Amino acid sequence: MVAKGVQFIPLLMVAGMFLLFIVSGLGSKMRQTSDYGFSGSYSGRVGSGAAIASNWMSAASILGLAGLFYLKGYYAMAFVIGWTGGYVLLLVLMATQIRRFGKFTAPDFVGFRYESATARTLVALISIVISVIYCVAQFRGIALLVSWLFGLQYKEAVLTGAALLVAFVVVSGTLGVIRNQRLQYFVLITAFVLPLMFINRKLGYFWVLPQFGYGEAITTLQEQFGFFWSEPFASISLFQWLALCFTLMFGTAGLPHVLSRFYLAPSMRDARWGVVWGLFFISLIYWSAPAYGVLARLFDARAGNAFKLPDPAQADLVTLTAVTQAGLPVWVVGLLVAGGMAAAFYAAGGLLQSGAAAFAYDIYPRLIRPGATDSDKVTVAKGVFLVLAGIVMAFSLNQVGLIAEIAAVAFALAGNTIFPAFLLGIWWSRTNAAGVVTGMLIGVLITFSSLLLGDLVPLVKVIFPLTSSAFIGAPVVALVMIVVSLLTRPPSDEMVAFLIRDVHDTGGK
Amino acid sequence: MSDNGVKRSINIFRPLQGTMRGEVQVIALLLAACLLAVVGTQVGIWVLEESIDGFWLTELVFFNLPIHFWISGQFLPLLFIVLGLVFNLWMDRHELRRMEGTIRFRATGRKKGEVP
Repeated sequence: MVAKGVQFIPLLMVAGMFLLFIVSGLGSKMRQTSDYGFSGSYSGRVGSGAAIASNWMSAASILGLAGLFYLKGYYAMAFVIGWTGGYVLLLVLMATQIRRFGKFTAPDFVGFRYESATARTLVALISIVISVIYCVAQFRGIALLVSWLFGLQYKEAVLTGAALLVAFVVVSGTLGVIRNQRLQYFVLITAFVLPLMFINRKLGYFWVLPQFGYGEAITTLQEQFGFFWSEPFASISLFQWLALCFTLMFGTAGLPHVLSRFYLAPSMRDARWGVVWGLFFISLIYWSAPAYGVLARLFDARAGNAFKLPDPAQADLVTLTAVTQAGLPVWVVGLLVAGGMAAAFYAAGGLLQSGAAAFAYDIYPRLIRPGATDSDKVTVAKGVFLVLAGIVMAFSLNQVGLIAEIAAVAFALAGNTIFPAFLLGIWWSRTNAAGVVTGMLIGVLITFSSLLLGDLVPLVKVIFPLTSSAFIGAPVVALVMIVVSLLTRPPSDEMVAFLIRDVHDTGGK
Repeated sequence: MSDNGVKRSINIFRPLQGTMRGEVQVIALLLAACLLAVVGTQVGIWVLEESIDGFWLTELVFFNLPIHFWISGQFLPLLFIVLGLVFNLWMDRHELRRMEGTIRFRATGRKKGEVP
């Protein structure tokens, strides 16, 4: 959906929203510290929850999920359940323990727990790959919105969006802007839900809770247009659906930038309650996202295209098309675009920064230049940020898939590697460096096996689909870690004692 | 190494004494509930789809939504929040008990005539 020219009012609203975040960030600069690019405001449980939710929200949540509902219907529910269920795993299995470890990044955690520079470097590399893949999804969202805002073609929009993102990160970095994540969350949720309320009101549906009101659109589609949503597993088998759902769950509990939130919570109790509040705030988005997909379908049907196969290239913009087709005021459209841009920009910027930090702090001083000073690392981080932005931009030039599906590959990689490494690292003290390194290498192979071996061995595509490989992959990797650990030397007594004394509540016995 | 010479370790399937044992039991319970809810509901929806050409998925409406949309899109995320709530309340309660136990131990452990 390329607009005819520059959309001035929405553009002003986008600029206004970024200005608001920058000014509020400058205001909180004096009160906070920033490390490894993971900064934020954390006071109280609700604040921690809003920070977790704000950190989570991205183009995949604001744009991608609705697009998937529009295109594939019930299939997209696997994303809703996977992305919310993953927080249950995080809460009960990891949040408290990670906080007790007191390490700031995933490579830090793995390097310390497994007493291995190799394991630390491997996790740093995997974190960079995850950041790049996830960022490709964000860049697609940015490009689609930039394309609409400026009336550009997709490839021009990718280049423009990348330039804007780099400029934004450089300006924010130069000014020392700190993310005010609570404010961001409340602005983004308003930008996402308010237009939905307006559409429901305009259609005469129950608009106070549009998360339920859109059900009338489903009924209308059935009764007036003969369009049914009654075959949830028509295009995907139950196994494939569950594989995707659990892959997203394991991936959520293994994404480096999600795990890093828990190190920053003021206390263990805040870490735990922050997850529950965060889950509630995230659910507000996911309770609403299906509505956009369904309403876009209704507008298609009203235009006489009820059964026309939607264009996958445009599916990621259905939140926007739903609002424009409803004939809402331009400021409502602007609000939604500004929310989408902010979510994608902050997600992409944060991911690129954490990827650059993983290289500069975990790989560069260990493998390339031992004895590098802090100043050297900062310089390298800036350079790597630009290189990663260039790589992501190059991958984004071709439309390789839907936003949510690209993101799912990053979740699969995290679920096959970092999730089992953390899980066993916390809950089985016998896991050692040899086991975790071998397991994670197998995990990388499993994640990309359908691309590498799928044509040669068709069964691989069935067992380890590109977006859903962790359902079988994560247990296989965990098993490999266990077997290799048992066959090799156990971890040091000091590490086992640390786990017993400081990580788990054993009463010091 | 513990006092009786047996080497101690962390294993989720053999939790050590203390709060860890209770915590692992609660974790197992919540994860089982989570797994049952996710897999059970989807199998149920699949069965409904397979029976009478998906008739029930069209006819059963809950909170304005077809039943499968409500279960997966609304109920399961809500259930996850409730499970998180239960876990946190349990953990808070046990932390409080442990703290009370520590205070009691300190109070009774004081020697006669010792100034607190």
